[in-house]
Amino acid sequence: MALPSNEEMIEMLGLRRERRWSIYDHPNLIRLASVTVFMLLWEYFGRKTDPILFTYPSAVAEAFVKLVASGELIQQLAVSLSALAVGFLVSLVLGVALGLALGMSRVTEAFFDPLINALYATPQVALTPLLMMWLGLGFSVKVSVVFLFAFFPILINTASGARNVSAAMVEVARAYLAPPRQILFKVICPAALPFIMAGVRIAVGRALVGMIVAELFTAITGLGAMLSLYGNIFETAKMFVVIVVLAFLGIVLIRATQWLERRLATWKETERAVG
Amino acid sequence: MALNLLEQQALVELDLPQTRPFRLGEHLSAVRLSSVVFLLGLWEIFGRHVNPLFLSYPSAIGRAFLQVVVTQEFQRSALSSLQVFAIGLIAALALGIAVGLLMGRYRLAEYLLDPYVYALDATPRVALIPILLLWFGLGATSKIVIVFLSGLFPVLMNTFSGVRTVSAQLVEVGRAYGAGERKLFTKVILPAALPFIMAGIRLAVGRALIGIITAEMFTAVTGMGALLVRYSSALATDKFFVPVILLALLGVALSSIVEKLQKKLAPWKETERAL
Repeated sequence: MALPSNEEMIEMLGLRRERRWSIYDHPNLIRLASVTVFMLLWEYFGRKTDPILFTYPSAVAEAFVKLVASGELIQQLAVSLSALAVGFLVSLVLGVALGLALGMSRVTEAFFDPLINALYATPQVALTPLLMMWLGLGFSVKVSVVFLFAFFPILINTASGARNVSAAMVEVARAYLAPPRQILFKVICPAALPFIMAGVRIAVGRALVGMIVAELFTAITGLGAMLSLYGNIFETAKMFVVIVVLAFLGIVLIRATQWLERRLATWKETERAVG
Repeated sequence: MALNLLEQQALVELDLPQTRPFRLGEHLSAVRLSSVVFLLGLWEIFGRHVNPLFLSYPSAIGRAFLQVVVTQEFQRSALSSLQVFAIGLIAALALGIAVGLLMGRYRLAEYLLDPYVYALDATPRVALIPILLLWFGLGATSKIVIVFLSGLFPVLMNTFSGVRTVSAQLVEVGRAYGAGERKLFTKVILPAALPFIMAGIRLAVGRALIGIITAEMFTAVTGMGALLVRYSSALATDKFFVPVILLALLGVALSSIVEKLQKKLAPWKETERAL
């Protein structure tokens, strides 16, 4: 007689029981309830307050539709994003190039170390007034503030990534007579990529902060300027629209880098397991 | 290392160089020192040729430093900044750790709160500055709130993930020995999560510093940030660098204090990971 399989055994013994319905199996239900209650309370109490100081969800939604319809939001978003993109790309290119140079030569690193540490330790916001004095209030000051915020995480991470490339790998490449160019692009770059991506992830968030700070202070164009201007004329609902858009932008940018990190640096985990 | 007679003779015959050749890679601190001297010298020479309205040079900054530090205005600003910073940060740590513990331990709390926590964490805190100023005015309250919000989320998120990674075995052993919920929190969960919490505190200190500088620069009434704006709009570049340098030193000092505390309070982090 064949032995009953595990499944049959469970059936015979009557072990299978319906699991009791538990709220904990439906976390999104709890989340939904929480957000709904919050929004309703906000709507109810928000309507009773002074609209100059406070607002409520439906007013924010209305302001959002208005700002989109007038094209203002899209236009300022485009201005902000272009400053963000240019500043970030410059810091990515320079950060990776200099980081590789620093990581591969201990002497170069020791030479630039004090400068980099000093600049990195300085809260970059504190330098914005100086940059505004040098570069005026236009596009270039935004790009340079974004650059200043995003550059150092990329530089420092790339340098430590290049420094931590296992010597064995470089030596094998050398033993196979790989020229320095190939060692750089085929060995060191891929091995440092997970570090670089970690730097990029930090840099993206900081670049966004840099963009907002620059626009808040110059207050001429961009989302930060909208915040600043609507704050001055007490348009609270419109301020909330900008805040929500910025929060959304933050989430999208972080998600995008996480996705890129997973795609580009898939060997990170295996590498760690082997090493 | 003692060599026998034959080996010594062989060494003499081979005439190997007795001293190792000079290599720059072995004198990294000398390289660092010369880099500092070189860059400061370059700045001094270059800076003297530039219009002093745009760029200052080290010796002028040194002179301005001695002038500025003794003034009452400066001391009052520094003191008010530090006060606001301390109050906001302590509040952020207290609430961040408490909520983080709750969310990590109780799933209901997690699901109820995590929509807000993630949304607010993704929102760049600087974007909230204009609206917080609208609500709380230009005084100390709004700055405290900004420091609080800047510091809150790193601590909260780190505490939360620290509690989540506490091994279930530790908790179960604790429970098996009859520990109540309170004992579990104080004797098992909190110590196990402490390394994470300390890492969160280190992040929070840096973020809070950026928060207070931005807030003070934006209100431009009191504090170090206000001094930055005042000096830069007066084109007093040499004085401008004084708060910048002090803020950088403050940042470095605070993060090294937290690092020391981390080693002292949570020395088991490394062994834990090794296991």
